[in-house]
Amino acid sequence: MEDTAPTIVGPLATNGPASPRDIPPDAIIDLDEVRRMLSHFHYRDFQEAQELILSALQEVNEHFGWVSLEAADVVAEHFGTTATRVYGLLTFYADFRTEPRGKHFMLLCHGMACYVMGSQRLVQNLEDVWGIADGGTTADGELTVQVVNGCLGVCDRAPICKLDADYFGDLTVESLNEAIRAAIAGSGSWRDAHHPVAAGSNHD
Amino acid sequence: MTDRLASKDAFDRFQRAAADRWQRMWDGDQLVVSVQVDSSSVAKGALRVLAACREATAGTNAIVREVSGNGAMWMEPAVEVKRPGEPPIVYGWIAAEDVPALLAGQLRDRAVGVRGTEAFAGIPPLHEHSFFKHQLRIVMEDFGVIEPGSIEDAIARGAYSSLAKVLFDMTPEEAIAEVTAANLRGRGGAGFPAGIKWESGRKARNQPKFVVVNSHEGEPNVYKDRRIHEGDPHKILEGMLISSVTCGAERAYNYIGGEYPLAIKRFRKAVADAERLGLIGENILGSGKSVEVRVRTGGGAYICGEGSALMYSVMGVRGQPRTKPPRSVEEGLWRRPTILNNTETLANVPAIINKGGEWFSQIGTSNSAGTKMMTVQGPLKRVGLVETRMGITMRTLIDEVWGGMRDGHVFKGVQTGGVSAGPITGGQLGYAVDFDSMTEIGGMLGSGGFVVFDQHVCPVDFARYLTAFNRVESCSKCVPCHRGNPALVEILDRIRLGGGAVEDLSLMERTSKHIIDLSLCGLGQVAPMPLLGMMKSYTQDFLDHIENHVCAAGSCPISATRVLAAAAD
Repeated sequence: MEDTAPTIVGPLATNGPASPRDIPPDAIIDLDEVRRMLSHFHYRDFQEAQELILSALQEVNEHFGWVSLEAADVVAEHFGTTATRVYGLLTFYADFRTEPRGKHFMLLCHGMACYVMGSQRLVQNLEDVWGIADGGTTADGELTVQVVNGCLGVCDRAPICKLDADYFGDLTVESLNEAIRAAIAGSGSWRDAHHPVAAGSNHD
Repeated sequence: MTDRLASKDAFDRFQRAAADRWQRMWDGDQLVVSVQVDSSSVAKGALRVLAACREATAGTNAIVREVSGNGAMWMEPAVEVKRPGEPPIVYGWIAAEDVPALLAGQLRDRAVGVRGTEAFAGIPPLHEHSFFKHQLRIVMEDFGVIEPGSIEDAIARGAYSSLAKVLFDMTPEEAIAEVTAANLRGRGGAGFPAGIKWESGRKARNQPKFVVVNSHEGEPNVYKDRRIHEGDPHKILEGMLISSVTCGAERAYNYIGGEYPLAIKRFRKAVADAERLGLIGENILGSGKSVEVRVRTGGGAYICGEGSALMYSVMGVRGQPRTKPPRSVEEGLWRRPTILNNTETLANVPAIINKGGEWFSQIGTSNSAGTKMMTVQGPLKRVGLVETRMGITMRTLIDEVWGGMRDGHVFKGVQTGGVSAGPITGGQLGYAVDFDSMTEIGGMLGSGGFVVFDQHVCPVDFARYLTAFNRVESCSKCVPCHRGNPALVEILDRIRLGGGAVEDLSLMERTSKHIIDLSLCGLGQVAPMPLLGMMKSYTQDFLDHIENHVCAAGSCPISATRVLAAAAD
């Protein structure tokens, strides 16, 4: 990670929460839909309710691409806890976004395999060419990038990224930029990505 | 759909039927096509290959199976084809377009090996391939063989027979004694003996107790645990159940990193199937013992691999470690006795129960029994996941198993122990890979992830990368780690920019000592280790940056400054 960010993990640290007027209409989260998703999360006691909050947030995050303050409220209500508590989770765990994704979403792997094969240049390139740091979205709302500190696990093709539904391996600065341009010119979006149930309740 | 198995007899009958069906499939007169699908081969189009195989065989009696990869990432996507009367043959580098030719038997040149003991038609057995010949597979035994989504496959290959043995033929004490005799040490990095942990778990008086599996794996260099979930989830589940039954826990958790959707999906399927058969839940196989299994997922925070942080995360709060004691085996999840094990550790348990602790302890070295799953990254010819005996040398691993360096890449070092230890250099490759051997030279087995780097990687820049990782992933709870790691990065940046002084080296050593001595959790206490290791092994590179303003690899900004200066002249 080319860190200009302070040590707090998560997009909030770099960008701050989106104000409602910045949110494109198609990214607004339908709260009834959230309630429908949450209705699968049954809990029998206090402990189970607490344990399911993270899973529920993950489903919301995967489905909508982010979790808004309003959605966090609904989650808090469902599990009988406070919005502060839920928001605290959203800002601690790196996978959650508190502002919408752009049209295309890239996970750029910056694990050690990718690092030793040159991913630092790719992270730098995103800043130089596209003007976005980890977690950021381009000004035109086309592309959001999340730099993965862990590992995408496709290390033989490092450096690698996942852009919408596709993986691109053995990346160079040129091939990365080309992949981004092709995605922006194409008709797809991050919603095409294959998301086999990321989380979910044991008891639905 | 099968009904619940209510007794050991019912389980035995089910197992015999599954074994029969398994045998018939391999002896039958139909084509059996096994496409290796896991999170790394999916990235290379394995799902398209699977779809192409299904399409090409539609309307025939061929069986198309979705198995997991066997660790050989370098030959993905791989497909195993078994024709009637022939042994199963594994083919590598198969794209969807190749499928018709593959099924017609025309791609012999891409055959990597025969899965079996004897060569066939000039194709040698897989285990003679240099990637496989040094391996001994206990956990990975059935990777690429069984369908992870089929509990019948797993049971046909012996899954849950160890659980039945523990439930009906052994006392919990005897089962724990086997684990102790096996000298099974924790595979997550710390190497704590599992037997001792289980004994204290069993002795803990408070009820209820919990078993928790640490499948978080947030290091930037390891992908072994997610592969167990993808390749043979029932091994983990069986290990969890045995641990729960012997320690007296009625609830077991598996905490999986949220970034691994396929691992989560396959493990959930395994849980659902086992529940359906009555291997999980109330009164398992009529034994009177009950275990509930819950799957919980993380959210991309490295710190949640630390035991207490992981438990906080399971409890749905921020994962920040706490001071110990009390140890988690006395007071862990929901302040109850909690037995926490790494995924790979538990996946070894079924074999230990089945074949005995004595058998396991004979494998590997005297202090590090058994096998270890190891992953490699970097510019090597055969990048992949392997499982070998403990005590294999790093040289054998790199030169033979992983095929040596790719052309144009010169070996410079191997980073060991993830972000928690230092590198080992070319002269140290003779060291054995086990829990203890590498610590004297500043290396560490850790969770078995090794990163080989070449002449294009600058040790100063690498040290900055590793320290910056720890800086970003610090949970910010305690000051030495929260403030110390940014300070280290700042000094490293100064050196990278060409503004370093020789005193900076001792300043970094002092700062590191503060972080090591004063941090609260295990991760903070080892955060400066990679930097210290790099400084020790590559002192000259650091001095070159500071005194001569030279970055030999050309990756630090200092090089750009020199190029600009040269242009100005």
